[in-house]
Amino acid sequence: MNGAAPILKIENLSISFFTQAGEVPVVKDFSSAIMPGEIMGVVGESGSGKSTLALGIIHGLSPRGRIVGGRLIFKGRDMASMKEKELRRIRGKEIAMVYQEPMASLNPAMRIGAQLMEVPRVHERVSRREALERALDMVRAVQLPDPERIMRAYPHQLSGGQQQRIVIAMALLSKPSLLILDEPTTALDATIEAGIIELIKELGRKHEMAMLFVSHNLGLILETCDRVAVMYCGEAVETGAVRDVFERMRHPYTQGLLRAMPLPTMDKNARPLVAIPGQQPAPQERPKGCNFGPRCAHFRENFCDAAEIPMVVVDKAAEHSSRCIRVGEIDWDAPPGKAAAHEPVVPGSPLLKFENVRKYYRESANGFFADKERVVKANETISLDAREAETLAIVGESGSGKSTLAKMLVGLETATSGRIIFRNTDIQDIPVEARDRETVAGIQMVFQNPFDTLNPTQPVGAQIIRTLEKFRIGGSAGERRKKMLALLDLVKLPRSFANRMPRQLSGGQKQRVGIARAFAGNAKLVVADEPVSTLDVSVQAAVTDLLMDIQRRNGTTMLFISHDLSVVRYIADRVMVMYLGHIVEQGTTEQIFSPPYHPYTEALVSAVPLADPRARKRRIVLKGEIPSPIDPPPGCPFQTRCPHKHLVPDGLCERELPPFRDLGGGHRSLCWLGDEVLGKMKPVIQHQPGPAPD
Amino acid sequence: MQYETIGAFGILIGIVVRFWPVWIALAIVVTFSLTFRKRLGLYGQLYGNRAGIAGLILCLFWLFTAVFASMIAPFEPLQQIAIMKDAPPGALDPDTGAVFLLGGDRLARDVFSRMVFGSQIVLVIAPAATLFALIVGTMLGLPAGYHGGRIDNILSFLANLVLAFPVILLFYLLVTPGVRETSIPQWLAGFFLIFPVIFFCTLFWTRYSSRPGLLAPLLVITFLLGGWLYAGLVFRADPLGLISLAPNELNIFVAVVFASSPGVFRIVRGLTMEIRTRDYVAAAQTRGERPWYIMLWEILPNARGPLIVDACLRVGYTTILLGTLGYFGLGLTPESPDWGTAIKESSRLLRAHVHPALPPVVALMSFVLGLNLLADALREQALKD
Repeated sequence: MNGAAPILKIENLSISFFTQAGEVPVVKDFSSAIMPGEIMGVVGESGSGKSTLALGIIHGLSPRGRIVGGRLIFKGRDMASMKEKELRRIRGKEIAMVYQEPMASLNPAMRIGAQLMEVPRVHERVSRREALERALDMVRAVQLPDPERIMRAYPHQLSGGQQQRIVIAMALLSKPSLLILDEPTTALDATIEAGIIELIKELGRKHEMAMLFVSHNLGLILETCDRVAVMYCGEAVETGAVRDVFERMRHPYTQGLLRAMPLPTMDKNARPLVAIPGQQPAPQERPKGCNFGPRCAHFRENFCDAAEIPMVVVDKAAEHSSRCIRVGEIDWDAPPGKAAAHEPVVPGSPLLKFENVRKYYRESANGFFADKERVVKANETISLDAREAETLAIVGESGSGKSTLAKMLVGLETATSGRIIFRNTDIQDIPVEARDRETVAGIQMVFQNPFDTLNPTQPVGAQIIRTLEKFRIGGSAGERRKKMLALLDLVKLPRSFANRMPRQLSGGQKQRVGIARAFAGNAKLVVADEPVSTLDVSVQAAVTDLLMDIQRRNGTTMLFISHDLSVVRYIADRVMVMYLGHIVEQGTTEQIFSPPYHPYTEALVSAVPLADPRARKRRIVLKGEIPSPIDPPPGCPFQTRCPHKHLVPDGLCERELPPFRDLGGGHRSLCWLGDEVLGKMKPVIQHQPGPAPD
Repeated sequence: MQYETIGAFGILIGIVVRFWPVWIALAIVVTFSLTFRKRLGLYGQLYGNRAGIAGLILCLFWLFTAVFASMIAPFEPLQQIAIMKDAPPGALDPDTGAVFLLGGDRLARDVFSRMVFGSQIVLVIAPAATLFALIVGTMLGLPAGYHGGRIDNILSFLANLVLAFPVILLFYLLVTPGVRETSIPQWLAGFFLIFPVIFFCTLFWTRYSSRPGLLAPLLVITFLLGGWLYAGLVFRADPLGLISLAPNELNIFVAVVFASSPGVFRIVRGLTMEIRTRDYVAAAQTRGERPWYIMLWEILPNARGPLIVDACLRVGYTTILLGTLGYFGLGLTPESPDWGTAIKESSRLLRAHVHPALPPVVALMSFVLGLNLLADALREQALKD
């Protein structure tokens, strides 16, 4: 780095919360320095203390939280010596923060323009006219179209991506020296996220701002940041330049995280994911010595748990440090220990068929006094088929119709037209109440949000037993109890959990119970609706593995709905990409992830952050927003954002719906692009030659 | 006329001493609860909250007063000692030497004893009416919130009708002698009192339909208990002679349930509409559960927080309502010692003698205050969960 002074120097910072149960240390001994123009990433799972760290820097902790040790030196001045008045001046003007939920950061009762203008008027006391000018400029700088209309709009009239851009604009209006971003894109779709990340990087370059980027997404950190600090249980366990840390990791936790992520080099049968055993300890239950010790494969008794572990410098030139006292002794290039390979599963006979299924919702504001009915075209002419023991992935962002598809399958909705055939029975217009027990037990669902998937007022075991009762499995209460315990064993949960209440379980454990419940009735078809997207990385691997395991054993067909292409690539046999209610591409995993692509698939693959430092990715950032299903664009649904539209003569894309053309071997694409264009498409992700990064 | 009095200090000591069963009972319950706080769930959590402790103590105080009323009160509520008419607080009866601790009222009855016996009536009718209103409101609010559509429109319309109707007028209509003579009150009573039976039957049947061994005895017990209550209350033909309500008491009861149900309906409907969107409800639907199972076993247990708070507040409202009704003479008989009627009776000559009115007023106020504090504490605890 050049000889400039750091904007923010954090020295051995410790933050604790003081609750009824006593002091809870949430951040311990965190040290770092952020230079001007540099993007510093802080990566960790939930409970690692990264958000508390960000809040602590701007002194925005709740009354129960306090900085109990260390120093924060901002531009050479110790923040502890600053009075409240000065802190207030710095907060919002010199240090700005962007939070995760854009809707929570904007005042829903004020127009966007008024909120934006507040910033320069409060901090710099400029005139109204000047504030308006600056606000308009900033709205243009964050690449929002039609700035005047946006300034007059209210927050709820904008989409999530647009709101987050406004929040970033607000943060930048005060020309801060340091911008803190706490998971700014977690709530957004992949293609929108890519746009926001591009914007952040460009603005950072232009304004020479220092940035602190907090996230749990390793791929995002790799693609965005210059330096990274990996946090575990409140402590920084590894810090350094980002490429250095990812290519030459020197802490077992970082290594475990990277091995638990479904990179394109993994294969579910030959080289499966390796989950990190156990779970992150609660802040009050830190083990003695190394926090990661109990879960570490390289743990050495009486050595790693003897005393507090300090940061050890690994590479002075690259400023790479690690909190592992066995750094020099561990062989970092050794392959992971337990990676049991499996035989690939052979798909069986056809089980499910969709024929031209359509689902339209009629929406009207008021039941009695509807003047104009609006039709939401959630699903348009869906045709697909699935065989036994196959894993079919459905990929799409919000508004794609994938959840509606799932609901029609399980019977929570009925199709408007078309046929859905399950095991030779038509089920498209039979809602779940009218279905026979066999069909109901045969199609089950694993839900997205583990915190909502179990009834909080009933013990876990009772909920599984109720499912068994409903499906008439087991002749007596005793038999059902035995079966319930067997199911708990199947999902690798201890039997004692049967009497626990859901709030005593973690997110991953609750999701396992949800899986046990879905498979309780020997389901033939399981619809998994984003089952792992809300879980931490290390838990995701374990739950994904579990699903694969059970599916292999029972020969169940799995319909895996997700927006996370990395996971999809890992587990799916066949993939369908949906956009605005249409299937825009379908084929085997191989076919989808290599050219020729549908333009939307191409952009989606590019948008997903990849945590592989050896991968070279083509950057394709889509402009604009996902159109609303109430008012879909004419012709091809994707034409409003397609970067290849100009390659089709006569503006055909804007007039007519493309044919679902066959590109060979069951690979189909809904596109007007000609064969020559498709033949010239290059792969989005290319790997540099070299050994695998584990 | 001039009475001998025992002075302010004497009155205070006298009252405190007379309440001795209540103090003992309170001490036992509070110590017991404080020691076993951790294991008593929501009730135990209330002790961690100052408002909770205050509210609990006030409510328990009146509860025990109602239980031990005959031990506490020195006189019967209707007993008249002619010489003590309008006696001031602390007056001594010249003949027997007994003390009217809070004075005598217009009809020469002991105000203190009447207040104590009044608590019995209030603490029986108000919570029971609230319980029934809860059941009726829940049974109607759950389907309205869950199914939506036409059912919701109709039920909400009816609820709004009842809510919009002026309450006093409603009571006048239900309780006037002209209406009382007809069988309308009995029909209404018959209608409302069947709800608990339906509630418990549906509750057991939806849950245990696959376990007939457990279901049959539960249903039999429900029918027996329900039938007994029904026979006693509606037909006044209780074979065991334990349960009976005078006709005007039944009217009050029914009228109060009728007026309180739409409020509960609204709350339950709102909660149901919110909880219906949760994943565990969708999971139950994909299992093929019937709507009433989902409503009673998946949605209702998760709505109990706000419902408990509302129930506490509602008991307070009902107590005040009984007071109001008593004041209008629409309540129980004019000799009844319940607080509302007592306030009304003593309000006639308020300028001359204020002392007969104050004890029932303070009693009513403290009880409702206790309930409100309890509701506040419960709400806070529910938020912390």
